[in-house]
Amino acid sequence: MAQAVQKLMAKVPTLIGAAATYSKPRLATFWHYAKVELVPPSPAEIPQAIIGIKNIVTGVNSGRLGQTTVKDAFRNGLVCTEVLMWSYIGECIGKGGIVGYAV
Amino acid sequence: MHRKGGCQPPFKTARWSFLLIGMFYGKQRYDYLKPRAEEERRVEESEKKIREEQEKIAKALAEGKSKPIRML
Repeated sequence: MAQAVQKLMAKVPTLIGAAATYSKPRLATFWHYAKVELVPPSPAEIPQAIIGIKNIVTGVNSGRLGQTTVKDAFRNGLVCTEVLMWSYIGECIGKGGIVGYAV
Repeated sequence: MHRKGGCQPPFKTARWSFLLIGMFYGKQRYDYLKPRAEEERRVEESEKKIREEQEKIAKALAEGKSKPIRML
């Protein structure tokens, strides 16, 4: 029993090293995209954002959005879902827990 | 590998605004649920005490009934 524990403890540094080498490129990719995508909008960009949303609304009203291809529509749907999912992440932050409310 | 022009402002603002809305909602819901949960716990505590008293009485009665009467 003691020998098994000792063997396990000897393996821990190698496991940590392996985890680090595995995660480094993936973290690099994540950071590479996060630097562009997840940066909060600067105050100058907010009017542009409002204009962009207005364009979408006019697109819906004029029927232009009915002309999108299925591929484009699928991609846009995925992007919308991702944007909406951020509200759940915000809820987790607000309630101070991942699963359920800690009341 | 990025698309031309980077991440457009509408998406950035939408992401961050949904994040903030979610945080706000989570906090409000937590503040709404917390006093209710405490109240429920208090009520449950007091009812549990009453229930345990009654169970003790019922058990004592049952034992009293099941014990055979000793012949004097």
